[in-house]
Amino acid sequence: MRLLSRLSVTVFRLAAFGSGLLTIAVFLMMLSFGWPLLTDGQFFTLLAGEWNPANGLFGIYPMVVGSISIAFLALLFSLPVSLGTSFVATVLAPPPVRRFVLGIIRFMAGVPTVIYGFVAVFMLVPFMREQITGGSGLNILTAAIVLAVLIAPTMIVFFVSGLKNVKPEYCLAVDALGARPVQKLIFLLIPQAWPSIVSGIIMGLGRAMGDTLISLMLAGNSIAIPASVSDSGRTLTAHIALVIAADFSSMEFKSIFACGLVLYIFTVIVVVALRWVSPGQDLRSI
Amino acid sequence: MSHLKKVFWSVLMLLSVAVITEASDLDKFDAEKGVLKIAGGTAHIPVMKEAAKMIMQKNSAIRITIAGGGSGVGIKQVGEGLIDIGNAGRKATEKEISQYGLHMVKWAIDGVGVIVNPKNSVTSLTTKQLNEIFSGKITNWKEVGGGDKSINLYDRDAASGTRSVFWKKALKKGDVSTKANIVVSNGAMKTAIAGDPYGIGYVSVGHIDATVAPVALDGVVPDLANVKNGDYKVSRGLYSITKGEPVGLARLFLEFLLSPTGQKIAESKGFISVQ
Amino acid sequence: MMRKSYERFIVLFSWGSFLFLSAILLFIFIYLVMRGGGTIGSRLVFGDVSPLDALLLRQRVFDGLLPAIVGTFVLVVLAVGIALPVGLAAGIYMAEYASGWIKKILSALFDVLAGLPSIVIGLAGFSLTLFLHKILPNRIGPCLLISALALSFLIMPYVVRSTQMALESIPLALRHTAPAMGATRLQNILYVLLPNCLPDILGGAILAIGRAAEDTAVIMLTGVVASAGLPRSLFEQFEALPFYIYYISSQYANPEELQMGFGAALLLLVLCGILFVFAFLMEQLIQRRMLR
Repeated sequence: MRLLSRLSVTVFRLAAFGSGLLTIAVFLMMLSFGWPLLTDGQFFTLLAGEWNPANGLFGIYPMVVGSISIAFLALLFSLPVSLGTSFVATVLAPPPVRRFVLGIIRFMAGVPTVIYGFVAVFMLVPFMREQITGGSGLNILTAAIVLAVLIAPTMIVFFVSGLKNVKPEYCLAVDALGARPVQKLIFLLIPQAWPSIVSGIIMGLGRAMGDTLISLMLAGNSIAIPASVSDSGRTLTAHIALVIAADFSSMEFKSIFACGLVLYIFTVIVVVALRWVSPGQDLRSI
Repeated sequence: MSHLKKVFWSVLMLLSVAVITEASDLDKFDAEKGVLKIAGGTAHIPVMKEAAKMIMQKNSAIRITIAGGGSGVGIKQVGEGLIDIGNAGRKATEKEISQYGLHMVKWAIDGVGVIVNPKNSVTSLTTKQLNEIFSGKITNWKEVGGGDKSINLYDRDAASGTRSVFWKKALKKGDVSTKANIVVSNGAMKTAIAGDPYGIGYVSVGHIDATVAPVALDGVVPDLANVKNGDYKVSRGLYSITKGEPVGLARLFLEFLLSPTGQKIAESKGFISVQ
Repeated sequence: MMRKSYERFIVLFSWGSFLFLSAILLFIFIYLVMRGGGTIGSRLVFGDVSPLDALLLRQRVFDGLLPAIVGTFVLVVLAVGIALPVGLAAGIYMAEYASGWIKKILSALFDVLAGLPSIVIGLAGFSLTLFLHKILPNRIGPCLLISALALSFLIMPYVVRSTQMALESIPLALRHTAPAMGATRLQNILYVLLPNCLPDILGGAILAIGRAAEDTAVIMLTGVVASAGLPRSLFEQFEALPFYIYYISSQYANPEELQMGFGAALLLLVLCGILFVFAFLMEQLIQRRMLR
């Protein structure tokens, strides 16, 4: 019996340490494949350089710009809508309807990314082309709009959990003062739930940066540095998917590990930021 | 015998001939089993799929997987031994051949044609105009005789053999604008242009169908006849590549591509037989 | 008056936001039903082959979704089959044994893992393939096993998290009962604590299944192809439903193929809907138990 329990602890520990170490191993793998780029300071040249394999340029700067602009634009669109929906789900709707609202949001979170992309290809792209941006309709704005819808449920879940967890005593006090729902929101709930709201924003940004399919299908994937939201652009993630098949010994191939490293470091920053903002929460709650 | 009946009988005759040749070309696969991995050139895919389907229907112990990626990928992956047959829409370079000891089989002739959406009124361009469109100097269709709409460029990634042929022979190695949208295969190019009324791109001539409109280059329409008689210059072979002399299933598959049935498949998919 | 109008604006905007998101969801569903609803039927799945022949492997399906559906199914079973036991064990360790800085570091690592973009996990899987290919020449290429491994890594944090959370939220009274009667720590975990948080763990597993079923980026880099037939070996390439939908959207060859793409999208949406209902029921179970 003693042996069994010793053995079981070893198994549990092995599982935890093993998976934890694998997380580090992923980083080391990127590092080792991208090592030739790092040794003579090339990494930073790559970060700031342009991509044009035909002329021997393997910089990922255009993709960094693409990723950041699509992610922040998506966040910009998604934030007000997500906040509004979370207000409905916590304060504005009558209690039975709140559950229904949350149910819909949770279901939205479960809709496969590829389905959003698929429908957008046939509906949103022609609309953007003819009515809004002109050009091919495959551009940063189109991708950002779809991404905004994609990250909304993630953010809403964070916002709702924050707004709900405000101390009931405070709520009662404010209610007793005769506050209207919106006043309660603005003067009590939002300030109290601030850490959760910031966590939700960070999470949403993380998801937007990490998504591959939407930008691959909708952003156009051009290698130019995008100058406006109606330009075609390429993200770091889409770049990995597009270049993965290149010659394994080429600079092109090595550069995707630079993209991987950038995304990895970005994730670490997100995690650190999240823990700093609200120590209780973590990424796995979504 | 009525006319209709005559047609009916001749069709039936043809069909039975087809069935007989198929049967004999496929017989070699009877005793085989195993997996054959194919990847690379995307112009090849329709032919590969059809051939694979025939072979697997004949003998279900054989499994053939087909992936795209582009010619560069086909050559590299077969060289590294990740796949059995790599397809390429361009010749492998001397360096690639010597580095990996590649063996090339050319089983069809194809062209690379410029395409636009069927709604586009532009049906002909000069080489100079084409060059200026792809380098980003001409940005509006009205400059080449079309409507007042900006031109949407579609380009392929660097691994594409179609791109390298098009770039060498049609653009004469001229600049290509970095603002072009990038698509990953011949199929994707066709789909993109079919969906974009103001787009321009290039595909394997075999892939041109009613959903897109071919654009004549210096007065020559990119079609099978013009590629065949040499009038249309942007032509190329379609290759399948093995590492070293092909053996086993890969050898049988390549032989099948060159057999009458295989060549018939190639022709039915819009390519020119090498025989 | 000023006050009222901005309050009214916030109320209207909030309801508008919610209605907007619901409208998108409804629109996607209706659009897919209209475009793809007509294709739902045995032809969509089995193509020209009779269902019986296809299922008994007598004939191969070429023009149907069967290989992609089975591919996704096998992939999910494998990935969850790997992630569940490992994640469960790791979750137990995190909740019951780990403490101090070890726990802090491990949970930070699991957070990073949960946050990693799936394409990065895919890239790691692909690098692993290249590495294995170097040491075992001509044995391993991108294949079902590699995809399943990479995918299990992607979904494991969800299992760890739900297990850990559930164990940590068990009330002290329950936690101490069995040890007080002489049960060992392991017995307590296996016979009291774990059965008690079964619904939570199942909830986490369903979440993991959903993630594994919808993921495209990981498998795109590790072995999915557009045409492979039914999966028969772990070391072969395979087809999968989400990849098929992606592939069709960018390169359908003819209207029939596009039609099938719509059918596949509708099918995937319905499958995810079913998973969602399961997760919902599981949650009801948890809540009812908490009330009791």
